[in-house]
This record gives sequence, C-alpha cells and structure tokens, in this order.
Amino acid sequence: MLTFTEEILLLLLDDEDGSFVPISKANLSCAIAGAVLMDLAFAYRIDTDPDELVVNDATPTGNPMLDGTLAKIAAQRQPTNTRTWIRVLSVEDAPGIREQALESLVARGILEQREARVMWAFRARRYPTIDGNVEQEVKLRIGQVLHSDDIPDPRDVALIGLVDACDLLGDIFPDRNIDQLRPRVDQLRKMDLIGRELAGAIADIEHTVTMALSGAPY
Amino acid sequence: MGQPSESDAGMYWSRYEESKSMKVVVERQNGVLSARVSGRVDSTNARDFEEAIRTAIEDDDRAVVMDFENLAYISSAGLRAVLMTAKNQWRRDAKFALCSLQDLVREVFEVSGFDKIITIHPGMDEARSALES
Repeated sequence: MLTFTEEILLLLLDDEDGSFVPISKANLSCAIAGAVLMDLAFAYRIDTDPDELVVNDATPTGNPMLDGTLAKIAAQRQPTNTRTWIRVLSVEDAPGIREQALESLVARGILEQREARVMWAFRARRYPTIDGNVEQEVKLRIGQVLHSDDIPDPRDVALIGLVDACDLLGDIFPDRNIDQLRPRVDQLRKMDLIGRELAGAIADIEHTVTMALSGAPY
Repeated sequence: MGQPSESDAGMYWSRYEESKSMKVVVERQNGVLSARVSGRVDSTNARDFEEAIRTAIEDDDRAVVMDFENLAYISSAGLRAVLMTAKNQWRRDAKFALCSLQDLVREVFEVSGFDKIITIHPGMDEARSALES
C-alpha cells in the first residue's frame, strides 16, 4: 500500500512530462507535512484530538520517510497542536520528505526519473509516470466517495483533505463542476482532524510570508 | 530536538496504562447488538476496540448501537474505528447508531462532522426504539 505522501505526490505530477502541476509552495509543503502526519496516525504512532497531537508509540515504523518525523515529534516535550506541527514540518522537513517519497515511487516502478532542460539552460528533474494504474485507482477511490453519500473509508477521508488542500479537484475531475462537489468535500474534510487543520496552517504560512514581504511585524 | 529520553518513555507508558482502561460490554436484544463502551478510545487501543465490536457482531444482528455513556475520551484513532464499524454495518445492510454521548465526546463528534454521517441518539431507549422499528 502506498503512503499518503506517495499518493498525493502522484496526483500532483503531470503524467506525461512528469513536472509538478502549478501549486504554491505553502500548499505543497503543508500537504506533504499533513500527509506524513496522516501516515503516522494510520500507523498508530501518533494521535490527535481537537487540542493536541501526541505520540502514543515511538517505535519506528521501518519506513525512513516517516521515522525521522516520528522521532522529531517524540522528542518534543511541550504539548503541541496539529496545526503547529504541520507548520513546523512544512518548513523544516517537507522538501526532504518529498524527495524520499519520489525515490520510493521510482523504486516501486511507478515513476521514472529524468533530467530535463528548462528554458534551454536550467536542469530540472522530471518524474513521468510508467505505471498509471496506481494513480487511476487513487482517482477512482476519490471519485466514488465524492459522488455518493455512502459512509466513507477513513483513508479516503484523509486523502480528500490532502487533495483539497492542494486544490487538485479540478485537475482530477476536469469535466465536473467542482462547486457542486464542494458540500461533500467540506463535509469529508472536517472528518479528519489533520486534514481539517491544513487550511489553517497554509493560511498561517501565507500570512507570515506576506508580512515578511511587506516589512510589517507578524 | 533530540531523541526521546527515559522520562519521555515514562510519559508514553503512563499514557498507555491510562488508555488500557477501555472496556466493551455487549448484549443482544431483538436483533439489536448494544455495546457499552467505557474508558478512553485512542491509538493505543483503537484496534482492540474495533476488533471487539467486529467479533461480537453476528450475522443475525440487524442493528448495532454503541452506548458511550461511560466513554470519557475519544481521539482521531477512535473516531476512525467508529467510522470503520459504521461502514462495515452499512456494507452488510445493518443499521448503526451511537447513544448517550458525554459532552466532551459529543463535542469531538460535532467538530469533526461525524454527527452528520452517523446517527446519534440521546439515550439507549431512543436508540433501541429507532433501530428496532
């Protein structure tokens, strides 16, 4: 089974040329941070409630992509809420986690890694899809949950929170009026306590960047 | 931020000890399985909680109600276990409901919107009446 981090990265890549779809740095890094927290939560290592994120089992999962984050959270002695952890991890750890997740997808034979030239000068890494079945299965799951009133699976609820944080619904369902799906998306997004904190964390980071650029105090 | 210290390990252990206090008692009446859940449900015991309910359900049970009168705390992991149980009942075309939530637990269900997906009754009598009909 893929991790949430791997699933959201698959959805963020253009299948053909292997580049990332246009997305703000804050949205991407917060989604990766949120995805790692979801992976740890579904592995029963961390737990959340509306006030706090706690480590209930600091035993490594065996996945290096997750265990660095687990050790970091376990070492923090002060009670800290989910939104703060998303902010911290998005700034300090998201780029490294993204690289690890992409390497994992290449190793699984789902993506391939290519070096490309951008504007005839700059080198850039691209990750075109080799095996599109995995991504199609993920999109199918999302579609089935969004287009029904069925009781959702907790994994699908979490993934929809990530997809919405990355504003990807229009890319996944180009033929659908996303506004019509909005009530269901909002309902599902609330149901995962990590997913529902993503929007707030993204807003915090954007506010900090705006204040820094304007020279105003935070 | 360094590695967890001995005192951190103690913290995990005391939380684990506290969490082990979860208990599930089931009874069956007119095709309705009621599960009285007490203590806390979090990531340390959510799998045990889900498994206890799953193994208690029999093919003839037309409905399942979880009585949370003595449930003091539920975390995200506990919510996911409740959601999976609800989904499994929906798959087998059986009814599912909760009843008698304490204020703190009710607040978690409301904040997360679970109360819009899962039916919540004020008490067991109301739940039985609705599920047996």
